Amino acid sequence: MDFQLSDEQKDIQKAAKEFAQGEFDPDLALELDQSGKFPEAIWKKAAQLGFIGIHYPEEFGGQGCGLFENLLVIEAFCTVDSGIGSALSTVDLGSEVVLKFGSHEQKRQFLLPLTKGERRLGIAFAESEDNGDLAVINTIAERKMDGYYFIHGKKSYVINVSLADSFVTLCKEPKEGWITLIVEREKEGIEVHPVDKMGLRMIPFGDLLFKEVLVPLGNRIGREGDGLAHMDHCYQTIGLKNVARALGTAQGAFDRALQHAKQREQFGRKLSQFQAIRHKLADMAASIEVARCLAYKSAAEYDRGNMDHGFLSVTQLEVGRRLVAIVDEALQIFGGYGYMAEQAIEHYYRDAWAIGVELGTEEEQKDAIAEVMIGPSQ
Amino acid sequence: MFFELNEQQKEFQKRVREIYEREVSPLVEEYERKEAFPVQLYPILGAEHLLCQRCPKEYGGPGLDKMTECITVEELNRICVGIGASIMVHGGLATDPILHFGSEELKLKYLSPAVRGEKIGAFALTEPNAGSDASGIRTTAIKQGNGYRLNGPKTFITNGTICDFVTVAAYTDPSKRGTGINLFVVEREDPGFYVIKTLKKLGNHSSDTAELAFDDCYVPKERMLGEQEGGGLEQLEGTLKSGRLTYGARSTGVGQAAFEATLSYIKRTKRHGQPLARSQAIRFIMAEMAMSLEAMRYMTYRGAWLFDRGFASMKDASIVKLFCSESVQSIVQKAMAIQKNAGLRADNPVQRFLRDGRLSKIPEGTSEIQHLVIASGLGL
Repeated sequence: MDFQLSDEQKDIQKAAKEFAQGEFDPDLALELDQSGKFPEAIWKKAAQLGFIGIHYPEEFGGQGCGLFENLLVIEAFCTVDSGIGSALSTVDLGSEVVLKFGSHEQKRQFLLPLTKGERRLGIAFAESEDNGDLAVINTIAERKMDGYYFIHGKKSYVINVSLADSFVTLCKEPKEGWITLIVEREKEGIEVHPVDKMGLRMIPFGDLLFKEVLVPLGNRIGREGDGLAHMDHCYQTIGLKNVARALGTAQGAFDRALQHAKQREQFGRKLSQFQAIRHKLADMAASIEVARCLAYKSAAEYDRGNMDHGFLSVTQLEVGRRLVAIVDEALQIFGGYGYMAEQAIEHYYRDAWAIGVELGTEEEQKDAIAEVMIGPSQ
Repeated sequence: MFFELNEQQKEFQKRVREIYEREVSPLVEEYERKEAFPVQLYPILGAEHLLCQRCPKEYGGPGLDKMTECITVEELNRICVGIGASIMVHGGLATDPILHFGSEELKLKYLSPAVRGEKIGAFALTEPNAGSDASGIRTTAIKQGNGYRLNGPKTFITNGTICDFVTVAAYTDPSKRGTGINLFVVEREDPGFYVIKTLKKLGNHSSDTAELAFDDCYVPKERMLGEQEGGGLEQLEGTLKSGRLTYGARSTGVGQAAFEATLSYIKRTKRHGQPLARSQAIRFIMAEMAMSLEAMRYMTYRGAWLFDRGFASMKDASIVKLFCSESVQSIVQKAMAIQKNAGLRADNPVQRFLRDGRLSKIPEGTSEIQHLVIASGLGL
């Protein structure tokens, strides 16, 4: 076992942190969060510097790193700002499906523009508030004429709905079964309906409507009938990225609380001199260490190709509940100031909930862990 | 011992629920979005005798007890915590000290219109550098002629921009830390009273929260509460005690709202082809929410019952506040988590319950301060 980052990994982590500290202006972060706007200019710069798709092979615009390195970037970004960091790390949402199952040509077509900061991707799997509920997925893609699918249906809670240029879309084909298509947003027959939300407000979500949308056969990723395998893979990688977001967000909340406790004086003493506060900070630090061990182990396993589904669920369960507890305690250390939007911790709290939702509920993760240990529930 | 509300209390509860559902519910969405308080509510609630409920009849108030107030507070906060914040401060921190320590003239001047909802009150103690440590305030009220000149900043002031008068804590003798403080009633039109800005918050969006400043603001000595200089913080003792009990009812109200929303959600929602209500884990969560709510509600009632008989200690009040404001966290958090993505939608009240419920652990003594008060009450 090797519990140390390599020199290269440390360099990537450092570069990401420095970039974020230089670019993620706190006032801008507040403004973008309040207005629900995407950090366009920062995104372009991040892409120029190679932070988007760092784990893609070089021929597709990446730097040939593992997903681990991508997660280090996400963690560093979210430490500096949970909102901007999450938004930047969501522009290539769904690209893992193309990376693993797409043809060489599709990879060039869809991945390269992501790394250049020219295009953004989204996923359209869910049709209810529950991402994984296949029972309600009704979007139909019919192969009516040669070389084309016609899609009809409605996707809900589509992340990047009004931002993405194309969507990795799960559909049912009456004869072929589950298939994955890349649908361009500019196609005729597409409607997007973003809804206002509580956290991660720079990343829009909402409904995506397909009314007889024509999609060329060349936009089908992988084989017919493999749609569910694509979705599983996608959720696995998104799960890991959410773990990294959660870790960065917890760290960022902790850093701010620690700094505040060292500066703020009440009763003639720094807050950091009260035992109750010191113990809170110690608890938070301990909790983050545990979360980080789980996160890094999961990421390393993924890159080695022996990702254990059960362990990913353990990681998501533990990191998820630690995230909410840590950010909540950080806000508490700020007292009244923590409740005010002027302090970043206020949007960290809302963002933590949005990230937590993406990580899945405790009950779902426990179901998944139990299934691995015991077998399916009968 | 008799563990039930009596017929009169039940009747009252039913009546206030109807009034709030009729008058308050339709305003919530709009004013939460605008991040402003619907001031038109004041005269309406005044006419229904739902403002300053403990204010005696001789000053135009309904003269009700703490128990009845807690019943009312729970019902209002079940509808909206933000609107509840304004009404709470108006009937508590802003006017309570006037009732107990103001001259007859001040009582007639401020309480009667406050009860009718013609004038809105605010309360200003907290400052940028003095939150939990109230003795650390720097606002001064220096004697000059027949009055006092107030100077200093105040922050997190509920009703700050909409108030007609504000009960302000300031040092008449800055050399006496903690004891040299007095309370003054400042009017909105008094020269030297400034609203610096309205503050954006995580929750309680329909409550108006502001940063204020007093810059050579002259207040005639008749508007000081009490005859002598000093002792202002001690004057707040009873009000704080009452306020902590109110927080028990506030937490119970928002917890109840989150519980009802969750119950209705799981009854109508299927996941993976199965009704959510059939999941054992979800049933456990609902059972725990119901259990917490019972405990919160009865602790609050007990606190109010003791208060009405003059037995409630600060420790009793702090126990109620700490228990209820901590317990409500797991209720609103579970309510949020269960609905997953749907819970995040701005048009879903469950995320408002989460943001609003989060406040309870902070004002009128943070959870940490409540622990300290309780420990002191144990003789430690």
